[in-house]
Amino acid sequence: MKTLETPVLETNTIGEDNTVTLPLGLLGFERVKKYVLLSSPDEAPFMWFQVMDDPNLAFLVVSPFVVDPDYSPDISDEDVRFLGLNSPEDALLFNIVTVRGNSTATINLKGPIVINRFTLVGKQVIPDNANQYSVRHELAVE
Amino acid sequence: MLILSRKRNESIVIDGHITIKIVRVDGDVVKVGIDAPSEVPVHRQEIYDEIQKSNKEALTQKGKKAQPARYSCPNGLPLGPPASRTIFFKDFS
Repeated sequence: MKTLETPVLETNTIGEDNTVTLPLGLLGFERVKKYVLLSSPDEAPFMWFQVMDDPNLAFLVVSPFVVDPDYSPDISDEDVRFLGLNSPEDALLFNIVTVRGNSTATINLKGPIVINRFTLVGKQVIPDNANQYSVRHELAVE
Repeated sequence: MLILSRKRNESIVIDGHITIKIVRVDGDVVKVGIDAPSEVPVHRQEIYDEIQKSNKEALTQKGKKAQPARYSCPNGLPLGPPASRTIFFKDFS
């Protein structure tokens, strides 16, 4: 039986420094602004979005495109400006996964985390077309 | 709760830098325009509640064995740099 815990290993994922700043925090965690993105090959494509000041706390995240290749949240102009994105290629996109027991996990497609890959500043955005997406989209289990 | 009466096109100013304007009233639907600095997040309550509840459920504590199964990626896509795969901005300029 495979179990995953917040990993202690640190594989750089998006550059030398993989500290991500969310100036507004996550919804419900507005005061937690610094995270570290951690991954290990045997957990791919899942990664951990770990609270920098408390390594015991982390969110499991995954690229939404492994779940839905056609995923296309409409990011508002305000959010694009807030993140300083000059083109879509500037952005990294991750969604939070909730493990709900032995055989169920869901992904929140309604509130993606968008990160400017150059500044590593991000935001959990609510896309303009959020009503098309579920906050509890089920993941297939092998 | 402070309750104020406003007519169409009238506004409320909060803390000198947030303006809320009644744009239209149509039956039981009120259109509200909000001017706020970008560091002040503005959300519809029900969506905010849904996502923050989901975030709280998702928070994982080290040592909790939360993941006994493998989750498949039906499309077999490598993680890659995700945003390069698709255009997901509306009216990007």
